[in-house]
Amino acid sequence: MSTKSLIAVMSSLILLALISSSAYVVNQYERAVVLQFGALIKSDVTPGLHFKIPFTDRVRKFDGRLQTADMIPASFYTIENKRLVVDSYIKWRIKDVSTYYRTTGGDSRLAEDRLGQRVADGLRNQFGRRTLHDVVSGQRDELMAELKATINETANSLLGIEVIDIRVKRIDFPPEVSQSVFARMAADREKEAREYRAQGKEQSEVIRADADRKKVVLEANAYRDAERLRGEGDAKAAAIYAAAYSKDPEFYAFLRSLNAYTKSFKGKEDLIVVDPKSDFFRYLNDPQGKK
Amino acid sequence: MAWNEPGKDKDPWGGRGGGNDGPPDLDEAFKKLQDKLNGMFGGGSGGGSNASNNGSFGAIFAVIALVAVVLYGFFGIYTVDAKERAVVLRLGVFQETMTEGLHWSAPLLTQVFKVNVTGERQYPSKGLMLTQDESIVELPLTVQWNVADVKSYVLNVADPETSLKHATDSALRHVVGSTELEQVLSEGRAKMAAEVKLRLQTYLDNYQAGIQIINVNIQQAQPPEEVRANFDDVIKAKEDETRLKNEAESYSNGVIPEARGRAQRLLEEAEAYKSEVVSRAEGESARFENLLAEYKRAPEVTRKRLYIDAVESVMTKSSKVMVDVSNNSMLYLPLDKMTRSVPATVLEEAADARPAREIEAKPVVRRESR
Repeated sequence: MSTKSLIAVMSSLILLALISSSAYVVNQYERAVVLQFGALIKSDVTPGLHFKIPFTDRVRKFDGRLQTADMIPASFYTIENKRLVVDSYIKWRIKDVSTYYRTTGGDSRLAEDRLGQRVADGLRNQFGRRTLHDVVSGQRDELMAELKATINETANSLLGIEVIDIRVKRIDFPPEVSQSVFARMAADREKEAREYRAQGKEQSEVIRADADRKKVVLEANAYRDAERLRGEGDAKAAAIYAAAYSKDPEFYAFLRSLNAYTKSFKGKEDLIVVDPKSDFFRYLNDPQGKK
Repeated sequence: MAWNEPGKDKDPWGGRGGGNDGPPDLDEAFKKLQDKLNGMFGGGSGGGSNASNNGSFGAIFAVIALVAVVLYGFFGIYTVDAKERAVVLRLGVFQETMTEGLHWSAPLLTQVFKVNVTGERQYPSKGLMLTQDESIVELPLTVQWNVADVKSYVLNVADPETSLKHATDSALRHVVGSTELEQVLSEGRAKMAAEVKLRLQTYLDNYQAGIQIINVNIQQAQPPEEVRANFDDVIKAKEDETRLKNEAESYSNGVIPEARGRAQRLLEEAEAYKSEVVSRAEGESARFENLLAEYKRAPEVTRKRLYIDAVESVMTKSSKVMVDVSNNSMLYLPLDKMTRSVPATVLEEAADARPAREIEAKPVVRRESR
């Protein structure tokens, strides 16, 4: 009884093994070839369930999705012989499975190496024909389109691969050039900073000078007007004096002189040497005032 | 069917006690099952019979098959979250896209790829890059994206996320490479972000990656570390410019009103002088005219009086030396003793010298005492 049950189990297992070795599924995202004793008998199998002869036929499946070959950053020279470090990537997918299998044995790394070499050569070519400025700014799209076309001419027939896109991720200066770029940038900034400061000084000077001018003009005008006013005052006063004093100039002179005497001898430090014969002392010695 | 009773399919081999995970003994298991089945169906001999039963063999197979079917069914159940969509391939061929909920698909025959679609994902990137005028700038950016087409996302591209990253790096550098540094650092950011977004979407559509770019956000561009100080200095210089200008303005605002004030003062003083001079003239002339009127009445007397008054006030205030020179004798006056020979300016200024001088100028001769 135990042998019977064993046989049952074994036979079902063998059946399973047979089915599994003859049936195979190709997924939609895969490309597959069938080999019989190593020779291609069926290429580009459609997705779905298929059967093959067990043990003689072998199925090789490859990733049919879009692949990315990330290139190692490499140096290229522009037309003016400037070195640039370029990091790029390639988007490719299998186009013709049988060619792909024949040339690469289905090894995607091998395919990418070959592709990478071609792209590197192409890049070297393209960069070598362009100026640094063109490469960095305007002509990336153009450059890549040309390169893609060139690569596809050979990649299709030789590798069974279609290149969908080639893009430059980074274009950088090598370190020693970077330093000089930084130096230039720094110099540019310094120039700009100096310009701002100088402009500041200029504006400041203009404003201050203007203020000083206004100040001087204000004060001069004020002085002019003030002098004019004083003159007017003086003139008016002179007219008034003249009108009054011309009525009796002699008396005015007399009065004014007396006034001056009293004003000019004001204190004890003024020493007067007097002659007793003067008019003032007329009565000092002689009550009759006889001389 | 009693087979569906819970516990029936839990452990078909009837695990042999605590933690012993040895390989199950088929025969023994069969026997056990057989016994159970027999007991259940009431067929066969009473429990615990050791005799083999050919009739139960089919039943055993049935049980195994059933258990297998239940397990198979159990493994085919999966749930799709609200955030996810599932791409189902049956025998390698795309079948359908499943939305959220509980689903079943045949294990081994189907493949299920679950992808988060509603969640926005972010890819932050940062690095030094060249501008159009061959300067180097550091530009951090964030790409927000989600999966727009699950089928493409799963089936078309080997590594969609890496593809996105590469494409972002490329698009960003392309756009920055065609922009001047000045623009990159100032107002060009929004425009650049829009360009990067457009370009990036174009790349990804070309790859049929099923990715949609929601937003590209470029943060504040930074000059590289090596020259940051110089860039900061430019900002400082702008501030210096403003500061110098403001200082000048404030100087001007101070000086001009002050000058206006001084000008006003000059004018006021002049006006005051004018009024003063005129008023004095008027006063003095009025005084003179009044006096003149009286003088005209008695000229001789008035004249005398005025003269004597004046001389008197002179005489009372000052020191006097009376000298009679009629005898024509030589006279020596020690004037230097009487008045200190000091410069006039000192006389005027040094008021505190006066008492001393008074002491020194002791009258050598008779003095008028008050």
